[in-house]
Amino acid sequence: MDVLQINNLTKRFGNYTAVDNITLSVKAGEIYGFLGPNGAGKTTTIKMLAGLLKPDNGSITINGNNLAEKPRVCKQDTGYVPDRPWLFEKLTGLEFLQFIASLYNLDREQFAAATQYLLKTFDLYDWQDHLIESYSHGMRQKLIMTSVFMQEQPLLVIDEPMIGLDPKSARIVKEMFKQRAQSGTAIFLSTHSMEIAEELCHRIAIITEGKLHISGDMNSLRAEAGKKNSDLEDIFLELTGAWELKDIISALRNKA
Amino acid sequence: MTSLFLPYLYSIKNRFLPKGYPSSRTLILIGFGAILFLALYLVSLKTINYFHSQNELGVILSLKIFEMAWVIVFAMLIFSSMVSGVSAIFLSQDNEIIFASPASLSELYLMRYLTTTFYTSWMMIIFSLPVFGAYGQVFSAGPVYPVLMVPAVICIASIGSGLGLMVTIILVNLFPARRTKDIVVYLSLLFGILLYLIIRLLRPEELADPERFPDFIEYLSRLSTPATPLLPPNWASGLLTGYLQDHYIDWLLAGLLVLTPLVLYFAGEWIMNRWFFPGFSKAQESFGGYRRFTPPEYSPSPLTWFFRKEMKMFIRDSSQWSQLFLIGALIVVYLYNFKVLPLDRSPLPADAIANIIAYANIGLSGFLIASLSTRFVFPSIGLEGSGFGLTLTSPLSIKRYMLYKYLFYVLPFTILMIILLVASNHLLHIQGPMWWISLITGLVITWSVVAMALGFGAMYADFKAENQAAVQGGFGAILFLFCALSFELVTILIASIPAYRLVRGWRWGIYTSSPVIIQTTAVLLVLLLVSVLLSTICLRKGIEKVSQNFQ
Repeated sequence: MDVLQINNLTKRFGNYTAVDNITLSVKAGEIYGFLGPNGAGKTTTIKMLAGLLKPDNGSITINGNNLAEKPRVCKQDTGYVPDRPWLFEKLTGLEFLQFIASLYNLDREQFAAATQYLLKTFDLYDWQDHLIESYSHGMRQKLIMTSVFMQEQPLLVIDEPMIGLDPKSARIVKEMFKQRAQSGTAIFLSTHSMEIAEELCHRIAIITEGKLHISGDMNSLRAEAGKKNSDLEDIFLELTGAWELKDIISALRNKA
Repeated sequence: MTSLFLPYLYSIKNRFLPKGYPSSRTLILIGFGAILFLALYLVSLKTINYFHSQNELGVILSLKIFEMAWVIVFAMLIFSSMVSGVSAIFLSQDNEIIFASPASLSELYLMRYLTTTFYTSWMMIIFSLPVFGAYGQVFSAGPVYPVLMVPAVICIASIGSGLGLMVTIILVNLFPARRTKDIVVYLSLLFGILLYLIIRLLRPEELADPERFPDFIEYLSRLSTPATPLLPPNWASGLLTGYLQDHYIDWLLAGLLVLTPLVLYFAGEWIMNRWFFPGFSKAQESFGGYRRFTPPEYSPSPLTWFFRKEMKMFIRDSSQWSQLFLIGALIVVYLYNFKVLPLDRSPLPADAIANIIAYANIGLSGFLIASLSTRFVFPSIGLEGSGFGLTLTSPLSIKRYMLYKYLFYVLPFTILMIILLVASNHLLHIQGPMWWISLITGLVITWSVVAMALGFGAMYADFKAENQAAVQGGFGAILFLFCALSFELVTILIASIPAYRLVRGWRWGIYTSSPVIIQTTAVLLVLLLVSVLLSTICLRKGIEKVSQNFQ
């Protein structure tokens, strides 16, 4: 069953088309990687999925509900992690989590059990009563992850999940993604890390200049790139203009 | 109650009651506010009493001022609601979390409406309550008066912000995406400037001067002209005037005051549900950064680039430079006041009174410089945000950084002070020593106040501030303003004795004796020394603190 269905999604900023007629779907239990060079339209797409930007064309369906028609129902079903999370600086970590839980109507027992477990797992337990303004970048990232993992929504939309995380936390986050997917959650994941995409994602889409260049599993991507036994980085570079990179590298080597 | 208020309640608790009881900083702020409240009440009491005791005409006049005060309060509330409405509703950073959640737009509107009303009106309420309260005391209105007055002030605040927010939501939807944010700022500012100019150019002070009217009947008719019944502030002043004079309550006006905020609230909620999302989506597009700029010439001089950087950041941030309109209007109104001063009708010789006013003008101009420094210089370091870290890690020393910052700001402020003083001296027909006294003292004050603003700004720099309004109303800004004004007052008092002797000698054509020259020189040297010392101390303290604050 498709938890997320995107049809002909388009977003224009003036004359510039940031997202151009994208169609894709994510099934329950699937981790879907969304890759692309800087400025390709990944964050714009994600913001539309989170209900923060109004599409110019196309539709987004989450768990059978149209986002434009039933925004509250869709948002209740979606956990969203922005790429640069802004958090309430003058709140403590626990106060922030309580606030988020109240927005999503999380019941008291689930909140208590989930947060204490997650805070301990992410090494934030001793920091939960400190103001967020004293948190490092990685701690903020872990806090916002906690706020998403403490709920059990059918869809997670994650923009750059590993930025600022230490190796231990990054490992935990990856395991949590896998575990959530096994329990039926659909995860839409945007990342620049090829290792993470290759390790976690069941299917991967590559977007360039707002258009969906290709979508499929690793084997179909390899076939498309004409590179058997290659890793995702090679495939990505091949599909997003490796010839330019080759020229640049050879120019740099000649200069050296 | 919606849980959207939780962050505000928690933030207030953590800020003011960090350990469960008020911190010393909170107590200082409360004490400062209480002193201000009391001072305002006493000054209002004295002024209204003065008018009230001027026979029958005084009563009418004081009530006319009462009515005008309500209109001014209302206009300022709408103006500030429009400006804060854009930031609160469309540009607030927490929108990304809140709007991505299943919270309803009605809940969001309730939260934005109440918090914006609070943020835009709390200061107005604190300042207006003692003034309006003093009327009750002077008119011996009795205990029912505050029961009417306090809700009236709250209703007017709610109506003002209700209207401001509604207009803002509609305006954001009317303009093209990329100009959305800027256009609302311009419109709001122009609205404010227009209102200010109208009030000043109407010259309400003429109402206090019956001689300006051809006959007494015309003056009385001008005073008793009923204010337009369509304006909400006139409902409040009408209701309270009726009670002040005859202990009569106009229930129609009371009903209008209570019902209008409710009607505006529900209308605003409807507009929010209909137009918020398209507007919010547009407001995000305004930051697309698709505009192409002319590439600059490279200059390896850090001073040149520092000036360029400051200038470009200022010009490209419309919320910064558009305030120049407001400053322009302020200067026009400021100088206009000197043009219309009725010096000829003073009991003292015209040139003597002109010299006194020119001397007092140093303080007024200094006050303007201090206010503008709070607006522009004080937040300038904190505004650099995380970019300040790059400066700290570069080979540019923090001392040199502060020097460049100082040079960047001291230049326009010096020019502004010279314009203010030279133009007002010209309008007052000032000649002789006062011309130089005002210029020298004014410049010494300007140079010191800018240094103090920078020093305090460094000491209390908030690199994570969500918006500037919060920085300018913060503890550091209030402390700076208090210190700067105290310094100006002391400077003007110290310089007054030699200034008086020099001007008196010049007016009477007496040869300036050596002791006067020695005294003047000594005072000037002391002033310079104090200014340099104070500036250096503030800047040094700022340099010491700023690196720690950035952590």
